[in-house]
Amino acid sequence: MDKTIMIELSNTFKDAVSDVDVPSPNRAVARIDPGKVKEIMQFLLDNGFDHLSCVSGVDYPPDKMEVVYHVTSYSAPLVITLKASLPRDDPNIDSLCGIYWNANWYERETYELYGIKFNDCPYMKVLLLIEEMEGEWPLRKDYAGYPDLT
Amino acid sequence: MGIFEIIMDTLVFIFATNPFSPWIRGVLGGLVIGAVFGGALVMVYLERKFLGDMQSRIGPNRVGGRFGVLQLIADAIKLFTKEDIIPVKADKWLFIGAPIVALTSGFLMVAVIPFDYLYINGNYYAVAVSRMDISILYLEAVSGLAIFATFMAGWGSSSKYAVLAAFRNVAKMIGYEVPLGITIISVAVMAHSLDIVEIVEAQSNLIYEGSNLWYIIAQPLGFIVFFIALLADVGRIPFDQTEAEEELVAGWATEYSGMRWGLAFFAEYLHAVVGSFIVTLLFLGGWNGLPIVGNLFIPGIFWVIGKTIMVMMLFIWIRAALPRYRIDQVIDIGWKVLIPLALLNLVWATIIGLTLA
Amino acid sequence: MTHEATQITSPTKPSEILLHLGPQHPLQPGPFLLDLKIEGETIREAELKIGYIHKGMEKVFEDRTYLQILPLTDRICYLASNSNNDVYCRGVEELLGIEPTDRAKYLRVLTNELCRLQSHLLGIGEYATDVGFLTMFIYMVREREGVVSLLEAITGSRLNHNYARFGGVANDLPPGYKEMALKTLGELKKQVKSHDNMLSSDSIYLRRTKGVGVLTAKEAGELGVAGPPLRAAGVEYDLRRMEPYLVYDDLDFKVITQNDGDVFSRVKVRLLEILESIYIIEQCLDQMPSGPYKQDVTPYITRPKAGEVYARIEDPRGEMAMYIISDGSDKPYRFRIRGPAFATAQALPPLLVGGYVADVAAIAASMDSCTSEVDR
Repeated sequence: MDKTIMIELSNTFKDAVSDVDVPSPNRAVARIDPGKVKEIMQFLLDNGFDHLSCVSGVDYPPDKMEVVYHVTSYSAPLVITLKASLPRDDPNIDSLCGIYWNANWYERETYELYGIKFNDCPYMKVLLLIEEMEGEWPLRKDYAGYPDLT
Repeated sequence: MGIFEIIMDTLVFIFATNPFSPWIRGVLGGLVIGAVFGGALVMVYLERKFLGDMQSRIGPNRVGGRFGVLQLIADAIKLFTKEDIIPVKADKWLFIGAPIVALTSGFLMVAVIPFDYLYINGNYYAVAVSRMDISILYLEAVSGLAIFATFMAGWGSSSKYAVLAAFRNVAKMIGYEVPLGITIISVAVMAHSLDIVEIVEAQSNLIYEGSNLWYIIAQPLGFIVFFIALLADVGRIPFDQTEAEEELVAGWATEYSGMRWGLAFFAEYLHAVVGSFIVTLLFLGGWNGLPIVGNLFIPGIFWVIGKTIMVMMLFIWIRAALPRYRIDQVIDIGWKVLIPLALLNLVWATIIGLTLA
Repeated sequence: MTHEATQITSPTKPSEILLHLGPQHPLQPGPFLLDLKIEGETIREAELKIGYIHKGMEKVFEDRTYLQILPLTDRICYLASNSNNDVYCRGVEELLGIEPTDRAKYLRVLTNELCRLQSHLLGIGEYATDVGFLTMFIYMVREREGVVSLLEAITGSRLNHNYARFGGVANDLPPGYKEMALKTLGELKKQVKSHDNMLSSDSIYLRRTKGVGVLTAKEAGELGVAGPPLRAAGVEYDLRRMEPYLVYDDLDFKVITQNDGDVFSRVKVRLLEILESIYIIEQCLDQMPSGPYKQDVTPYITRPKAGEVYARIEDPRGEMAMYIISDGSDKPYRFRIRGPAFATAQALPPLLVGGYVADVAAIAASMDSCTSEVDR
């Protein structure tokens, strides 16, 4: 598989995929609609992209937050970066746990650091932080507790 | 009446014929037991140095000169000065009693080990704390007390790690007592006696009078079965699952600290030393020196101690070279491999014993 | 192996015990809590709780300049520090639009492979203690001393090397390095071959490890595992071949795979990778071009243009990646570290379910995780 998958992707999901860019032979970027993330991921899984490499959150104050997915394959070097933009007040997106098994820990980490809720995740509990810190969303840009000047 | 006879007469007078003899023999017995405890310390030291040698590192080399001989004293002092922690939910008497039972088992085993067999003034005297007709049976029975000790420690600690380890240990030890017992019986069958002294003497008359052959030549399978069962009974690698730090922290002694742990640890090494003595006496000819050539004018006690140190080094060598079995594989070996081999050895011993009698 | 077993429930039957392995336990490479619900000797459920040494690296990195971050990337996983430096430098170089010099590329490959050697040696050693093979641990540490001395001769430090720079490396090879390296590596090759022989023929070890903790290729793909556990299952996934970076497409090496996917295969993959890395290092030392070892133009304050990069490397433990978003200033806007140990740690509980408690040590150690990297 190669960059033609991006063309197929944008053809299959016309409204949900936008801003497709292929900056280098092994990297492709696209922006997706958060409501359609499960269908898009299932499409990629069916087309041979069977390795979810990373799920990260990015904070863009004052009004949006992004979830960035990096999907790659065990038999080709192409890495597809998919970005989903969410509103900062109530960010929630569907969970990918049914499609990629290893999405669980990434989603738990993104939830506890940013506050992005993943709907239908089978097991959502804080992963790296302690339970008392749930709700503080430390990696947001307006987190008051860093730098710790005590 | 040379000097030698005078000395021997005096010794016999002190130890056998005067009215205070039982008390003197008792004190001497205590000294002998103390000496065997010293032997266990020697084993700990040997283990650290010899094991280090095989693992291309130096063992202790700071305390007590270049060879670190006083390292054990330093460790003992450190253990004495530690805080004695008894967990709140622990069953106090079981917790305290477990190292005591283990050491008692060690004491009792040492009591029947003969170091030499002297012919003085027309009588044979065995250099042992006590000489019984059934000493090997007594030894086998008392070594089973160690099973109690581990279970008391595990159950009394009231901690999941300790209880699990105690279960494993008891299962393993029960399984390996059977081949141990059967092998001892096969040796006793060949020697026509349960007395250790007579077993060693029977070895010296094996095929012809004064041959000084060893039972390892007559029952090699018995030696192997006994050795492996002893490794498992004592709890050394490859059978030391209960101390496998990686699996269950420190096994049944997890909650022990300070000198209590020191005593438990020491009891295990004592068990290993006593086991080495038994191997020497039952299979390696005891105080009768080398096969066919005999004593070479060295007293028998040095032969016993020398051979025991060789067996201890074999224990340590096996520890350095082999990995550890998983507990279910250990129990498999005990029941499915060693018991049939031990029974085979018993049949062999009976046939050979009858032929050579 | 069930995939749903991520959560643990309290024991319902009197025969079940909840056992906590951790957070302090002699078996671990770092603190984590492995909860096991066992019945007799079989594990029914397992859950791994991490976060005991979470340092908040990603937040800290947003507040440091690019050059200040460089020594901190060493500490993500201290055993694979050269790999961490390399992937970070490649990411920033792509943002800056510069390339390392030719000699620097070979030097980076050299230190990457030396780092892989010492990480595998220690990983196998720690695994050996967990199986009960104490002597093997000491032997591996002894061999590792030679490799660490080689690294110290180049980079100046034994553990956290801080060697790669943007556009090159920090310093050049000392004189007489090639002879020293070839001598040490020759001895290492002999010793590793003899250890491999011993491990393949010791019957207790084979009984302990063959058929234990099997991870098939399909399961590994679903669990998101990469690195030696995946290659032991038969999948030829090595980023040095799949997405060649630096000079790996000029070097000749094989991707080591085994077929069984059990504990024995994973350790064997690591042993054979040690021999393969020695071969790569010998080629590097032969083919190294002369020239400058870094660019002249690396500024102290680096301001990459706005953009993002996802740089990947074949870490000794798997696939390591760094996702850096830059907004044109001298500090990154978002710095995401994707460590390989995160994926292998997540895959550990399903692997343990259904096995024996006595196998936990062997399986966990054969996955070779590094808690510092999992928690960041």
